[in-house]
Amino acid sequence: MFDRIDRAMRQLAAFLAILGGLALVAVILVTVVSVTGRALLFVGLSPIRGDFELVELGTGFAVFAFLPWVQINRQHASVEILTMNLSGRANRLIDVIADLMMLAIALLLTWKHWEGTLDKLAYGETTFIIQYPIWWAYASGLAGAFGFVLISFWCVLLSARALATGQEQSHGEMQH
Amino acid sequence: MSHIDIALLSFPVLLVMIFLRIPIGLAMLIAGIGGSYFINGSFLMIFAQLKNLTWGTFSSYSLSIIPLFLLMGQFATLGGMSQALFKAAETWMGHKKGGVAMAAVGACAGFGAICGSSLATAATMGQVALPELKRYGYSGELATGALAAGGTLGILIPPSVILVIYAILTEQNIAKLFVAAFIPGILAALGYMIAIAIYVRLKPESAGSRERAPYSERFRSLLGVWPVLIVFIAVVGGIYGGIFTPTEAAAIGAFGTGLIALLNGGLTPSTLKASILTTASATGMIFLIVFGAGVYNAFLALSQLPQTAAAYVGSQGFNPWLVMVAVLVLYLVFGCIMDSLSMILLTVPIFFPIMAALDFGLTPEEFALWFGIIVLIVVEVGLITPPVGMNLFVINSMARDTPLSATYRGVFPFVVTDIVRVAILTMFPAITLVAVRLLY
Repeated sequence: MFDRIDRAMRQLAAFLAILGGLALVAVILVTVVSVTGRALLFVGLSPIRGDFELVELGTGFAVFAFLPWVQINRQHASVEILTMNLSGRANRLIDVIADLMMLAIALLLTWKHWEGTLDKLAYGETTFIIQYPIWWAYASGLAGAFGFVLISFWCVLLSARALATGQEQSHGEMQH
Repeated sequence: MSHIDIALLSFPVLLVMIFLRIPIGLAMLIAGIGGSYFINGSFLMIFAQLKNLTWGTFSSYSLSIIPLFLLMGQFATLGGMSQALFKAAETWMGHKKGGVAMAAVGACAGFGAICGSSLATAATMGQVALPELKRYGYSGELATGALAAGGTLGILIPPSVILVIYAILTEQNIAKLFVAAFIPGILAALGYMIAIAIYVRLKPESAGSRERAPYSERFRSLLGVWPVLIVFIAVVGGIYGGIFTPTEAAAIGAFGTGLIALLNGGLTPSTLKASILTTASATGMIFLIVFGAGVYNAFLALSQLPQTAAAYVGSQGFNPWLVMVAVLVLYLVFGCIMDSLSMILLTVPIFFPIMAALDFGLTPEEFALWFGIIVLIVVEVGLITPPVGMNLFVINSMARDTPLSATYRGVFPFVVTDIVRVAILTMFPAITLVAVRLLY
């Protein structure tokens, strides 16, 4: 059961990360089409209106969607010089504390981002050029934010289990 | 407690968290949010800011360049550009004493011109060059040392993710910073080659020999390199010429390298997935640090500490050059244990106003460019200094038969050339600034 949930969590994180990556690919294509249009004005083409608003939309969605993947693979930059001399048990305790702090921040950011989304919805703000409602953009970030909370919570359980059983937890795929 | 006291107290708190292995971005977020609570007496202000700050940071147009450059580096690897570069460098200089190692450094420099990350450059070129170095009888010590050092060229030679961050922090022009980075980057590659030449003369047994390649083969190898050249010219030339914004240039570069990878069969659904996941890891990690630093630095600005410190240092009549040396030494020491991006984000908002208040005989813009390049180099030295040098770990993990201690020894001569180069560039700002002065 535990392993099945673990696999599902990792798949969810990977799925969100890939969605975010595809959004980046879309950002690349939009930008290339727009720049090409600008370069070929003389044959009647034109840049995409408000292309930078699409870039911001895609990047914002992507970065939110990447957070769960970073967390579940423990890829956040940290300094190990002192803790590598501590015992395994002390390190597992630090893992639990760090994961609890990450969960607290994930909850705070998601809560505030949710409120920000509701604000934008209530005020009916739109972007300057394309005039799409800004709350759409904010709401796209919620997908990754909810995933980040869920995965951060799962990481607390993983670390707590490692502390209780005294076993190393798997750190997922190491990517370079 | 005064606001300044709160800010000063936040340093030890932050450092304790960081040294207890709390992720650096997370530690900065907590210190920043906590600090602003103590200054304002409540969470109201910071919580109100967080409603828009997360999206504002993650969707920032100028920061969107970072995932695009990372993806570009991934696609360049898939497109076989690292092999093509190494092959070309090897056929031209491989027959010299230590030539294959020099070729690896040269190929790293070439790859650095289309990749904005040191770790990606080290990892990519390590895969290509380590087996060849071994085949021609190079010692693990020299091979891993040269590649770890060569990897830093990924950041030193533009485009460069760290320079983008520095440009945003100090409100400088990215194009001018890229231009300023160019000559120091070339000097770095030359310095590494000289280090190899001296190394193999002192320890002749550490390098084998390779037969001289005929000129027909040499020129044929250059054909494989043209895509790198085109992408580099499009990206850096386009930014410099003002034809497109840096973000557009990064998107075009990623498109170009992706297209090349697609055409030569390197880009498939499964490699695309792997590239995206690698990019996701690095991007998420970077943005958490950038976001945390944003919150922490906003708190510091609120406390007035950077301005107060700058005014204090400016009024003391310190010798500017001594202050500069002290700052550089601090960077070198911290670089041994911390990653370069975190160091830039943590220190530049404090050090930059202090240093800018001192008189180095440069205009404010020239000072900002020069200081940025020097800081970039010293934090990059941190990638190859033991005990915590990420490039050393990356390369060493690929060379299974070389112990980490051998890599530590092997990289030593390269660290020496780095320090010599920092000293020269610090003493003669004109070396860094001449290209900017000529072009603008």
